[in-house]
Amino acid sequence: MSQKIKPYLLLFPAVAAIVLLFFGGLFDGFLKSLGYFPALGETSFGIAAYNDLLNSEAFWDSLAVTLRIAALSSVIAALLGAAMAVSLFMLQASEKGRSSRFWQRLFQLPLTIPHLVGGYIIVLLFMQSGFLSKLAASAGWIGEITDFPVLVNDSFGWGIILAYAWKEAPFVSLMVYPVLARIHRSWRDVSRVFGAGNWDFIRDIVLPVMMPAWTIATFIVFVFTFSAFEVPFLLGVTYPSVLPVYSYQLYTSGTLADRPEALAVNIILAALTVLLGLVVYYFSKRWNVLKGWD
Amino acid sequence: MSELRIVNIEKQYGSLQQTGSRAFSLKPVDLAIQEGEFFSLLGPSGCGKTTLLKLVAGLLEADKGELWMGDADLTRVPPEARKFAMVFQQPLLFPHMTVEDNVAFGLKMQKSGKKERIERARNMLSRVGLEGYGRRFPNELSGGQQQRVALARALVTNPRLLLMDEPFSALDPSLREEMRELLGRIQKELRVTVVFVTHDREEAFHLSDRIGIMSEGELLQVGTAKELYEQPASTKVASFLGMKNIIPGAISEGRFAATSAGVDFPAAEAGLTGPAFLILRAETLQLMNSNAQTVRKDRWNFEGIVQSLRFNHGFYTCKVEMGGLELECSLSGQQVQSISRGQTVPLAVDLKDMYWVAQ
Repeated sequence: MSQKIKPYLLLFPAVAAIVLLFFGGLFDGFLKSLGYFPALGETSFGIAAYNDLLNSEAFWDSLAVTLRIAALSSVIAALLGAAMAVSLFMLQASEKGRSSRFWQRLFQLPLTIPHLVGGYIIVLLFMQSGFLSKLAASAGWIGEITDFPVLVNDSFGWGIILAYAWKEAPFVSLMVYPVLARIHRSWRDVSRVFGAGNWDFIRDIVLPVMMPAWTIATFIVFVFTFSAFEVPFLLGVTYPSVLPVYSYQLYTSGTLADRPEALAVNIILAALTVLLGLVVYYFSKRWNVLKGWD
Repeated sequence: MSELRIVNIEKQYGSLQQTGSRAFSLKPVDLAIQEGEFFSLLGPSGCGKTTLLKLVAGLLEADKGELWMGDADLTRVPPEARKFAMVFQQPLLFPHMTVEDNVAFGLKMQKSGKKERIERARNMLSRVGLEGYGRRFPNELSGGQQQRVALARALVTNPRLLLMDEPFSALDPSLREEMRELLGRIQKELRVTVVFVTHDREEAFHLSDRIGIMSEGELLQVGTAKELYEQPASTKVASFLGMKNIIPGAISEGRFAATSAGVDFPAAEAGLTGPAFLILRAETLQLMNSNAQTVRKDRWNFEGIVQSLRFNHGFYTCKVEMGGLELECSLSGQQVQSISRGQTVPLAVDLKDMYWVAQ
């Protein structure tokens, strides 16, 4: 009997911490988003915060900018990451395979740099008084550094997109590359004999093989950028801000009355993430992406 | 006629001096394979037959030499443009594609319409005995079925040359035989030119119109199975074809002598003089009836001591010792009843069944 319980007992501290801090925090936030605030004497439940939020223009602007940034960052990161992984794979398969390890390490470098530092690198490189604008100005490509396009703290969010694309592309390639390693070396020979050029091989063999891992990696990047705070806080504008920053702004606005709305934003973020997860799961099942693999 | 001509093709693999291994080189190969012919490259592992096959496929680049198909020079043509097909040792089917899509892969690369390629894939699948398996995935098939799919994938494109690299070596013996029958039948039906690599003598003899024997990167001899078996060009070829009775000696003044073994008899038909090997096929050694011994001029008679008797597919392999030489002969079950180990038995070989090669 004790042997049966033992694994659960060993897991208990970790599970307790997750349940208490993560689900407890989420549940507490959910209750407060419904107006349950015993500290303020509010013990009733209602959906006023959600109503106010869904009727506010600021929320919808924020949601739009969040979706735009998350979608563009994840698509660019996915494309860059896939291109990196496929290039590494083709390099490995070619006769010049020995140099592929160097390139692999180089491409993985951004993984070791924290997001906040990555954000600062983007600031230093791409702001109007940054390195690239000064370089362009001194090379004579632009007249003044103010002619350099606004890429940091711009309302479209290019700075955030750049930061995430740069930071997450190696993550996507890291997820995809081991899957590509499952491709039998002789498959290239088989496909060549049957008339497939490099592009045919990538389209018919490499892409279908990497699709499941690629979809999942892109989804993780999307969910991460969708609910990330620090980089948009550093590189974004005050309005419209992304949802996590908007939530933070509401929470620290000074009025306690805004707090249920701030927490409602987080609950909506969490709900949307779960929903997206279900959508991806549904499609990955439907596409039968893993069919045929043992 | 679009015969395949391999003109002095050679390949040298980089010398591996650091590892101490010997560098492998394929010595110049000159060979013509007729349209519709079933040609086998037969040799032990590592003899260069797969290298030669890959050079023909274009998967390896030759250092020297040319490859022609009819009037077309294919030497510099990449494999994807050669319009060949290949079956490998492993089925190498794409696991994410259905059987049908796997078979239709080559047609897709040739830009055939979807409807047409699926129809042709289904036809070919029924030809290899896999009707109704099209919608399955490769991991739902047995090893033999997968290799049939690989064969269908290769044949469906009507290749001008089908290359096969030991395609049945991973299958169990009964399945192998079944696949052999299937391949032989389909090859004759479709009249496709085949270059088949194998180390299995029986397989090569069963299937081939002609066979090329390879050893240590060299094409030693080309001929029909019968020619190779009855007139091997060297002792290497003879040994690879399973001949055990190779007697070193010398021919002079129309007589062959192996003095150490006490052998001396006429060899006018040998057509050579000087040091030579006498090759005796096991089935040419006849057990004589000791009571009614008739000495004939066209026959070499000798006595041997039975060393061992081994049952082998309906006949017996008998080893006899004669003047320090060990000879092997094939005997029927009935013949074996009258002899036993240690017994001295009279044997004879017709002079016309003897074959010599120069040393």
